[in-house]
Amino acid sequence: MTAPLLEAAHITVRFGGVVALRDVSLAQVPRETLGMIGPNGSGKTTFVNVMTGHLRPAHGTISFDGKAMAGRKPFQIAAAGLNRTFQAVRIFQELTVAQNLATALVDAMHPLDPDAMAGAIDWLELGHRMTARAGGLTLYEQRRLELLMRLVQQPRLVMLDEPVGGLSTSEVHAMLGLLAELKSRTTIFIIEHTMKVIREIADRVVVLLAGEKIADGAPTEILRDPRVIEKYLGSFDA
Amino acid sequence: MSVRKNLIPLGVFVALAYGLPLALAGNRYLAFVCGMTLINVLLACGMNLLYGYTGLMPLMFAGIAGISAYVSVRLSEAGLSFWLAMPLGALAASSLGVLLGLPSLRLKGFYFTLCSLVIQSVITLGFIYFSGFTNGDTGIAQIPLPSLPGGISLAGPPYELMLATFASLGIALLIALVGSSFGQRLVAIREDDGLAEALGIDVTRQKLGAFFIGSLFAGLGGAVYAPYLGFVSPRSFDVLVSLNIWLMVAFGGRGTIWGPVVGAALLTPVPFLLQDYYTIKDVVYGLLIIGVIVALPSGLAGALKLSPRPGASKVAMRARPEKAS
Amino acid sequence: MSNAHTIILMSMLSSGLMLGVIFSLVASGVTIIYGSIWMPNAANGQFFLLGALLTWTMTVQFGLPPAAGALLVIGLSVAFSYLLEILLIRRFYDVPNRNISYFVLSLGLTQISAGLLSITYGVWSDQFQVPPLVRGVTFIGPFPLANTRLAAFAIAIVLLALLFALLRFHKYGRALRAVFQNREAAALRGVDVRAVYRLSFVLGNGVVFAGGILFAYAYSFDLSAAWTMAITAFAIMIIGGPGSVLGALVVGLVFGFTQAIVSTFASPTIAAFSYLGAMLIILLFKPSGLFAR
Repeated sequence: MTAPLLEAAHITVRFGGVVALRDVSLAQVPRETLGMIGPNGSGKTTFVNVMTGHLRPAHGTISFDGKAMAGRKPFQIAAAGLNRTFQAVRIFQELTVAQNLATALVDAMHPLDPDAMAGAIDWLELGHRMTARAGGLTLYEQRRLELLMRLVQQPRLVMLDEPVGGLSTSEVHAMLGLLAELKSRTTIFIIEHTMKVIREIADRVVVLLAGEKIADGAPTEILRDPRVIEKYLGSFDA
Repeated sequence: MSVRKNLIPLGVFVALAYGLPLALAGNRYLAFVCGMTLINVLLACGMNLLYGYTGLMPLMFAGIAGISAYVSVRLSEAGLSFWLAMPLGALAASSLGVLLGLPSLRLKGFYFTLCSLVIQSVITLGFIYFSGFTNGDTGIAQIPLPSLPGGISLAGPPYELMLATFASLGIALLIALVGSSFGQRLVAIREDDGLAEALGIDVTRQKLGAFFIGSLFAGLGGAVYAPYLGFVSPRSFDVLVSLNIWLMVAFGGRGTIWGPVVGAALLTPVPFLLQDYYTIKDVVYGLLIIGVIVALPSGLAGALKLSPRPGASKVAMRARPEKAS
Repeated sequence: MSNAHTIILMSMLSSGLMLGVIFSLVASGVTIIYGSIWMPNAANGQFFLLGALLTWTMTVQFGLPPAAGALLVIGLSVAFSYLLEILLIRRFYDVPNRNISYFVLSLGLTQISAGLLSITYGVWSDQFQVPPLVRGVTFIGPFPLANTRLAAFAIAIVLLALLFALLRFHKYGRALRAVFQNREAAALRGVDVRAVYRLSFVLGNGVVFAGGILFAYAYSFDLSAAWTMAITAFAIMIIGGPGSVLGALVVGLVFGFTQAIVSTFASPTIAAFSYLGAMLIILLFKPSGLFAR
């Protein structure tokens, strides 16, 4: 049994009177692709915010790579090897692609060496756009830039928050191909609200509903789980 | 951001900075305007680091310059050489600036600016209230010009040459900082500090660093201003002064090296041109502030498309709305 | 209690109430504008002073009777606010993060106003005194209360009550609160958001000007009143909670009493320090204010 890379135990988050996350626990081992799924407002991004230090939970512990991460600031967690992307695509709009990349490298603990970096840029097909203003890129190019900026830091785990949001069907397909490749380079935690995407790349799925974890298992199991079917009837594009 | 392409403009600046005061040596009035411009260039560089490159609008900038001015004047009076009093004053001001600014650094955008306004007000009130130290609203007059260690007084053109040295060094330092990885981090923070943090940048520490260095510029400016003008009072360092230094940066072009220098050069002579109608300068400056906000968010540099780096398209600080899902 | 003590107590009480209602009025105006169009108006002190100075012009320079003069000033303030809204303010309604642009804009306005006022009024007089609204003095026990102050106080209370009623019961007030909460939702429900914005700006400034007018009738003043009031109004707004008129009311009264008590025993500068200190604490620890929505 491999030691978990990412571990969350009994996470509870309250915003005023609203309980955004209630007693959520999960664990992810290296090289296992974990998916988190749930309707909008179920607490998925809140969970990522807790794991990456943007939010302090009312209860619960988080650890990464065996080390406790409670109270650490986001930049420290990034430095420890846990990266994340944001639900709405988030890059430095007014800087060039090259400047975006340089920023990702400036405080990277284990940056890619120049050859590997050139390889990554080619793989993500951004070589010809290096001097372009990032805000002028297409959405799909911006999503790839986001991936590139995480890749060059060589994270041990990347939490991707709805990475195919806003992409066309063919772009989603291409992105899934990229993500499948990405799995060989790092461990992925992916948030989605459509089962279709999760099913293709996740090894295991955690289902969140109104801040509570209601299921945790392989995608095929989840689809047959009566509780999931009951609560989600019709909600998933299965 | 290449250091090399700034070398020619720097050379031009150095030539002008040293040349003009010498050429105008016969006309003390014009030479004084030159000298004041050089001081404002130094101040504008500090403000540029904070506003242009880090995206913070520190309205207590003049207050910090003032603390340095009062401290160095009092230290000089106590017998300390100007050449010690000046850096000590600047350091005292920066340290105080960091101390005062520290809690406010985690505030974003408008709240940071408001907090800095409050701190500036506290400083101004302090200048008026602690009149034992500052002589209150009356101010301190007849501040003597310093001498070089050899005993040569720095009156006249030599003081202006000293100012030229400081201004040139200030710009050179800014060029070096902006071209370094520190500068890169600051720009990232300016553009989107949440993203910068997610990429591993210690945003608070960088802001503190920028704060300290920017305050040093303010402190040095204040310390060399006092003997040059010969008079300081709380009004010399109030919020409108901070605002006017900000205007030099915003009007010239934030986030560029030379925009603020040009801004300082264009705006410093205004009160002198107005002569007897001196207080109209407030109206002119105020109109320019409104003009910058409404029409010229990237300043002259942006308007003339001289900005090498694509600047932010609004003066407003970029803040991402955090969405919970 | 001796007569001397009674007088001091009555003096502090009446000062506290008088200052308190004026602070509340001005802070209400500022907070309405911030809550609706997201504009922190640093020029509120200048508008306050302008209200007072124009009242002086109407009554002393033009010799108008007090009521007519006051109404004229209000009329001018409405025209002035409309002009400002059309020329400058409405350009930013759709800009995200417009609060900082507005803030700097209002600082620019402050500088312009300060410059203009110093070459006009600043030259004409050092101290400004307006003829009383109502002549004479009323005695409460041994304590003499100037009738003009009583009148100003009564009018201020009425204005505050009207403002409160407007916001709570009138349809404009409901529209304003809807826009405070969520502009898009309000628009979907048929609220003319831009009209609400325009009205809020005019109303908010009008209330600030009214505060200045009443201040002129209650006290003599000089140009420094602008800066003092700007700090105070902002402090009240931040501590009470931006957008909360109730907060402005309560905190305004507290500030009035604080000023009255502190000025009796120490200097007004200490009072200013305490406002700034309180504002800093709230900014750093509870930025949404005490009466946050």
